[in-house]
Amino acid sequence: MPQTQLIRSSTFLWALAVAASFALFVVALFAFIYWKLDAYLVARSDRMITTQISFVAELSPARRVSAIADHLAQDSRGVQYAGLFDAAGKRLAGNIDRVPRELGLDGAAQGVQLDLSEKPTAHSPVVRAVGRRLDGGDVLVMGRNVDETREISSVVGQALALGLLPAFSLCLLAGVWLSLRAQRRVEEVNQRVQRIVAGELRERLPEGGTDDPFARLARIVNGMLDEMETMINALAGVGNDIAHDLRTPLTRVRLALERGRTHAATLEQLQDVTDKAIAGIDQSLAIVTALLRLTEIENNRRMAGFGEVPLDEILREVCDVYEPIAEDKHVGLGVVTERSVQVWGDRDLLFEAVANLVDNAIKFTPSGGRVELALETEDDTALLRVSDTGPGISEQEREAVLRRFYRSDKIRSTPGIGLGLSLVAAIVKLHGFRLIIGPAPGGRIEILAWTGRAGRAITHRSRALLHADAGQMG
Amino acid sequence: MTRILLIEDDTETAEAILAELGDRGFEVQWAGNGVDGLDRARASSPDAMIVDRMLPGMNGLTIIETLRKDHIRTPVLVLSALGAVDDRVRGLRTGGDDYLTKPFALVELVARIEALLRRPTERRATRLQVGSLELDLIERTARRGERRLDLLPREFRLLEYMVRRNDQLLTRAMLLEEVWHYKFVPATTNLIDVHMGRLRHKVDGPGEAQLIHNVRGSGFVLRSRS
Repeated sequence: MPQTQLIRSSTFLWALAVAASFALFVVALFAFIYWKLDAYLVARSDRMITTQISFVAELSPARRVSAIADHLAQDSRGVQYAGLFDAAGKRLAGNIDRVPRELGLDGAAQGVQLDLSEKPTAHSPVVRAVGRRLDGGDVLVMGRNVDETREISSVVGQALALGLLPAFSLCLLAGVWLSLRAQRRVEEVNQRVQRIVAGELRERLPEGGTDDPFARLARIVNGMLDEMETMINALAGVGNDIAHDLRTPLTRVRLALERGRTHAATLEQLQDVTDKAIAGIDQSLAIVTALLRLTEIENNRRMAGFGEVPLDEILREVCDVYEPIAEDKHVGLGVVTERSVQVWGDRDLLFEAVANLVDNAIKFTPSGGRVELALETEDDTALLRVSDTGPGISEQEREAVLRRFYRSDKIRSTPGIGLGLSLVAAIVKLHGFRLIIGPAPGGRIEILAWTGRAGRAITHRSRALLHADAGQMG
Repeated sequence: MTRILLIEDDTETAEAILAELGDRGFEVQWAGNGVDGLDRARASSPDAMIVDRMLPGMNGLTIIETLRKDHIRTPVLVLSALGAVDDRVRGLRTGGDDYLTKPFALVELVARIEALLRRPTERRATRLQVGSLELDLIERTARRGERRLDLLPREFRLLEYMVRRNDQLLTRAMLLEEVWHYKFVPATTNLIDVHMGRLRHKVDGPGEAQLIHNVRGSGFVLRSRS
């Protein structure tokens, strides 16, 4: 139903409303002009007949008749009326039959109906007239037809038709055109969106060359689609990684259970098999948990816990937790920090990030090595560094380690689920901080945080532009 | 006999929990949906409750809220397949006393129920004693018989937590949450074991009766009697 759609479309309705109000306004304007003009003309003719009657009244009775005849003879347009009557009401001169009944004598000019002697017209005209009683009982009446106003009204009407009708039609046409154009664009967008929904992820909305709001909206949506396409493609890759990392422990579980079922002869053997199976399942579950956690952080839902966080305390606490682990591995663990470094963030998440970095550093540092935690401040920034004497992260691997489930080939044998650094990256991103991975050899990962009031603003802004700084990491 | 009310809609899960708690000497009632569960909670006033979050008829959290409004303070362990930290926080804020994410180990469930049933020793006490082990909470010192234990602050914190809950199985997850305030699972899975190893080394000297016991595959217990 394109017609009804067109009539219902808001653009069209707006155009209609604007055209209607424009027309109303113009009509009102012309009515005002007409009214003012009419009043002016009536006042002018009133003045004229008042002057004329005074002039004729001043004359001697003998000259009045000829003066009236002259006056009427000079009136080529036939708009002047005059009449001189004796006391009995009999006409002495002029073109009026008798004194109009409603005319008050010696008063101001007023509109009256005249009975005419010479013009046998069907209707007696309504004129402005003034009457005066003269000495000797005669009555003098003078009038003037103000039918000119009718002419003016017809001119006004013509002007109205000439100006208003085209303007009104133009408005309507513009409304129809704009609304059709908008509908066409919406329809085009609709078709493209349908294609995107159907799985055509490359499809984009038409942006056009102009800079109108519609084009800007299309550009915004296209930006979002770009981001989503990247994410979906990344997810597709991750899907395979997840499948791999989940399948590995599950395969072990399956094999252990299968072998246990056929070969276990004693309860102890069966328990041993079950323990293995449970361990494998737990590992799979740990992956799922870590993934959910990553999603939770990336989805940015944990803003509730934000507040002032003392970074130095977090460093000391993490160090306290990991000291025995490092000692067991004969890895030195030291912390160098300045006092009370406050950043705006989520304490638990920042603790988790630092703990993950330290955990990784200890894991990949060979026995006899050393892991150092350092916190330095400068102006509005705090630099948190976790460095170790391990192999570090090579140039080629830097991007990759931030991907989910990435585990360097060298360290495939090391236990872990390969989500540690992705988690750190997600937490850092959530805070609007920067994650810097230093060059190998020697592990060196830094978090550049913003301190004080400025930091708070940056963290808040980064929430709005979360995706924007994804490219700046690493 | 301790009575526990289980509100869980999945039959197999419920049967496993019923069997395990039954073996441990608990008397367990089972309700398969929220409305029935709320009725039973009101009628039989159990000692503790295990409530699944997603239930047919009535949400688990609604049950807890309703009970708390009626001033029924029965300790509740919330079970949920929703594991996110926010869900957990919501579960505890509603009035749940502890929160366990599905899937869980049965020992973990039992340990947490026992922890709920047995509230820790009076908080205002300044000295704690278990067997020959003595803790001075003001001086932050510990003695094992005549021997003074040289503990780091973190070790003292751990020991204090265990002494307050002696003879109770403490799982690694419980220790992580309560002693270290971890809101996540650390990548290094033996984190607790290493700390516990250190502490045990200091608490249980050569020739002394072992106080800290490792329960295979589950966690740790500080036993007052061997």
